[in-house]
Amino acid sequence: MSQIDSSNNTAKNSQGKLLIDVGSTYFKISNNTDIEQHFRDFNKSILDDLTYKCGNKIEGFDKKDIHICSSANGGLSTLIIGVTQSFSLKFATNIAFNSGINIIDTVLFQNIEEYSVPSDLIDVVIIVGGIDSNPDNFSDSLYRYLENLTYSNVVFVGSELDAPTIKENIKDVVILPNIIDNRLHIVEESLREYLTNLYQQDIEGKEDIKDLYTITDNQIFSTPYVVNKTLPYIHTKYAVVDPFILLDIGGATTDIHYSKDLVDENIVTENEYDRLVFKKLGVYKSKQSLIFAAKANEFVYELLMHLKVTENIFEVQSEKATKILMQLAIFLVLCKMSHYQKGYINLKLLSVNSFVLTGGITKVLTVEEIEDIISFFYKKILNSEHNPATVLDTNYDIWTLSANEIAEGK
Amino acid sequence: MKVVTGVVGNDIHVVANRLIDLSLQARGYEVFNLGVNTYLEEFFDAVIETGAEVLLISSLNGEAEGWGREVPRLKAKYKKLDDVIMMIGGNLVVGTGNAEDIVPRYKGYGFDIVCHQVDLNTGLDSLEEMLIERKLK
Repeated sequence: MSQIDSSNNTAKNSQGKLLIDVGSTYFKISNNTDIEQHFRDFNKSILDDLTYKCGNKIEGFDKKDIHICSSANGGLSTLIIGVTQSFSLKFATNIAFNSGINIIDTVLFQNIEEYSVPSDLIDVVIIVGGIDSNPDNFSDSLYRYLENLTYSNVVFVGSELDAPTIKENIKDVVILPNIIDNRLHIVEESLREYLTNLYQQDIEGKEDIKDLYTITDNQIFSTPYVVNKTLPYIHTKYAVVDPFILLDIGGATTDIHYSKDLVDENIVTENEYDRLVFKKLGVYKSKQSLIFAAKANEFVYELLMHLKVTENIFEVQSEKATKILMQLAIFLVLCKMSHYQKGYINLKLLSVNSFVLTGGITKVLTVEEIEDIISFFYKKILNSEHNPATVLDTNYDIWTLSANEIAEGK
Repeated sequence: MKVVTGVVGNDIHVVANRLIDLSLQARGYEVFNLGVNTYLEEFFDAVIETGAEVLLISSLNGEAEGWGREVPRLKAKYKKLDDVIMMIGGNLVVGTGNAEDIVPRYKGYGFDIVCHQVDLNTGLDSLEEMLIERKLK
């Protein structure tokens, strides 16, 4: 039940902005003076829950002064069809990840007939291949594959010489500039803007999120996008030494943001920081998949011994169990970024100088408990005594800084 | 005429790479230079993305020998490389060796032109000859 009447504009607060972040498990709300965090009531809509718990605070602000971001949406699913692994597929994957998209699959075009067609609805299909002076990168097998695929959007970002044929053969295809320039370098802007807008529309399209426009006049952004934009200014809040990795471990997903200096790949872009979203790696909504991933990791039992617990902890619901899950999440994410697991990207973890942790994890673990896991990881997986500094964003300063930047229209 | 070039493996001999790039450009080729420390797969992928007619791999530290052995296996995975002219040049062995042994070995790996310790211009002349022979020029 909503406790506020959004049409009532009398006696509004003129003390600046109200910032709200809606996560999958918690929401937080911040004004000039303080920040509150609330566990979500999943029996209520987001708006009802928000106004029930923070109605008085929200009432005090004009709709134009309320800024909301959300990480509670499921994100978009993508299928990328490209002509090589080293250029077209790698570049498109990089841009998609940085737009907050979850990759379902990539298809190497020359072998397209050997791939099975995903049965789930794909939100966006990306087709890419060839520099602009190279024609005929695709053939009828592409169109046959697409005929069997269910998708909502399709975008072509390959050779401009192929664009007319692609347009003629694929209904409603969006043609954007090539993401590979004539020196085989990546060109991000158009595809990233297109995907970011789709992601934005997806957020706004969710009924729960749409409701929130009752209390704000401003655009609702995705939280990882907002955070990523602010990383160049993180030094204004914390003594963070470059290069650093920011981990945002939440209830459903884990986002990592990392300095480009940590990447071996020679993709040259204008962004200083890249972002990866690990879906189904969280400690509340994604708890079961986190436990599943943990059990598949050969070092986890040693880690549990190190933490002086047994695997029975997975069956327990307690503060201690949540702490262990959080520690496991850190370990698994580090594994996923290291050479131990061949993932989308492997970071140069021995060059990291700082780990910054934000999100729900900062309310559960202490710096010492986090450092213990990071040190365990370096010893066991990388055989190193490397000891990066750990910074805990306990008061959500990074998010507040980011949301303020957006609110100021920067 | 498009040429993809670069230095194969963990080889940082950038000066030779730059000279090859400039010499190819001077002869009118459109050059896609992948630079030093380039893996075989990147060479082949670059040929696919650019539609290049020629792949010119260079090596100075002799590492090419190991990479060369991988060429037949990797090339077989690609469906559009059959007509590409494959050329390799530089110092193609670790230590010493003579061209009589080395050239047939690399040809066995699938290279059309093999230039072991051959002057750059002489090597590029043999490329011109092959292009004329194949009626590509």
